Amino acid sequence: MQEYLLLIRTEGNPWDILSPEQQQKHVEKAAAYISNLVKEGKLKGAQPLEPEGKIISNTKGAWKDGPFNESKEVIAGYFLILARDLDDAINIAKKNPIYEDQLKARIEVRPIKAVEGVNV
Amino acid sequence: MTNSIQINQLIDHLFRRESGKIISVLTGVFGSENIQLAEDVVQDALTEAITQWTYNGIPGNPNAWLYKVAKNKALNILNREKYKRKYSFEVSKFSKLEELAFDSPLDEHVIKDDQLRMMFVCCHPALSPDSQIAFILKTLCGFSIKEIANAFLSNEESIHKRLVRARQKIRENKIHFELPATSELQNRIETVLQAIYLLFNEGYSASAGENVIRYELCQESIHLAEIIESSTVVKDKSNVHALLSLMLFNASRFHARQDELGNILTMSNQDRSKWNKSLIEKGFYYLQKIKSSSGVSSYHILAAISAHHCAAPEFNSTNWKEILSLYDSLLLIDQSSVVLLNRSVALSKVHGANAALNELNKFAGDEFLQSYYLYHATKAELYTELNRFREAADSFQIALQLAPIKAEKELLQKKFLHCREKV
Repeated sequence: MQEYLLLIRTEGNPWDILSPEQQQKHVEKAAAYISNLVKEGKLKGAQPLEPEGKIISNTKGAWKDGPFNESKEVIAGYFLILARDLDDAINIAKKNPIYEDQLKARIEVRPIKAVEGVNV
Repeated sequence: MTNSIQINQLIDHLFRRESGKIISVLTGVFGSENIQLAEDVVQDALTEAITQWTYNGIPGNPNAWLYKVAKNKALNILNREKYKRKYSFEVSKFSKLEELAFDSPLDEHVIKDDQLRMMFVCCHPALSPDSQIAFILKTLCGFSIKEIANAFLSNEESIHKRLVRARQKIRENKIHFELPATSELQNRIETVLQAIYLLFNEGYSASAGENVIRYELCQESIHLAEIIESSTVVKDKSNVHALLSLMLFNASRFHARQDELGNILTMSNQDRSKWNKSLIEKGFYYLQKIKSSSGVSSYHILAAISAHHCAAPEFNSTNWKEILSLYDSLLLIDQSSVVLLNRSVALSKVHGANAALNELNKFAGDEFLQSYYLYHATKAELYTELNRFREAADSFQIALQLAPIKAEKELLQKKFLHCREKV
């Protein structure tokens, strides 16, 4: 098993176009998704992120803090999961119900760097 | 990176129900001129719930979670200078919000009274019946504009406009978020009940639309009437009980009215084992609660008629004699064409198809009935019973042209062809 970080990318705040009933349906699907991962021992953590922040850079000793994101897309949250391999991790990402209710959602699947003999 | 993932479930329609409750409570805080603000706060709280719960799971007490978040958002608004100026909040509103038992345990009575106040705002006589029910659905039932548009076969834009106008009327007429004076209460309750019954019929009538959403309209109507039923403010609840009973009896047959292929089944062809027993039981429960002392309303008589249908184990054992005499009493209160039409069915069962046809033919000049497909379909059925197939076919053909939905048309088409063969 290897750790993967799933970064959930969305555009804007598309939830308010859904009715309360549809919103609830989505929450229920997401809750079932999470609870499956927990049962299979594949979920190490998950959190939503605020749609704000700063990007800090340092050029020749001068600090700069710019807008953290200039495109419409933001990272809305992350899942830290355990998967057998990249394909397994991709499959887990594909099952995220966010794809059903947010047409512009994208998930970035990134293996956490493993160094043989150290953290593997 | 340690966060506890919670595994809990939500009860059905929680979001919808809670948004109705919280919008009512917050409208009490912000004032009815700021209903939109209350709606926005609730929408924000729900959005917050989605973003949290889709990562962390559903918390143990989701209601309390939503209330707490909504309360904090409301307090933020009350505290911000620019809102204070814009909405002219009074200081007393802060204390009202602070006092509210927003964290569990929730005081259900406080919430119900606010929902009742909200109903009086929504059903104020200054608003048209159409606006009243659209507004009820939006504020008290947590429907989206799109869902309301689907339910009314309208489009989102016109529903949106209708809601904007309703909010405007509330501001212009200074309709306060309060219970009417005792002297006025009973009259105002009547307007609310009428709106609820209209909402129910929107859902129940087979005119069109998706089955799912139509059934939900029926459920919501019953739910709203139950809120009034449990209120301590309303003293005379006879009409509330009668309306509840009527809606429950009718709703019990909702899913038996179509077969698997979507064909419409008239009451004589319905599989009575598919009638919802628990709704029927509840219907009888409320029917028994009606106090005879407070006069008879049309809800009461219609409920009694519906009770006779529900009580009959099969179509042929229906107590038509009682039903006919109930229709006769109904005519004393309500002489509308639809009542006359429905009465004619009972009349035919008691005194024969000829008697019913004679009665119906008296309305040859009634514009409403002439353009109502069920008038012609009923006549056609009666002609069929008398083996007068030529006239039956003619009437079926007119009904066929007037019928609003496909499933009805198909049923009528079948009957029309059957009669024509026999001519």
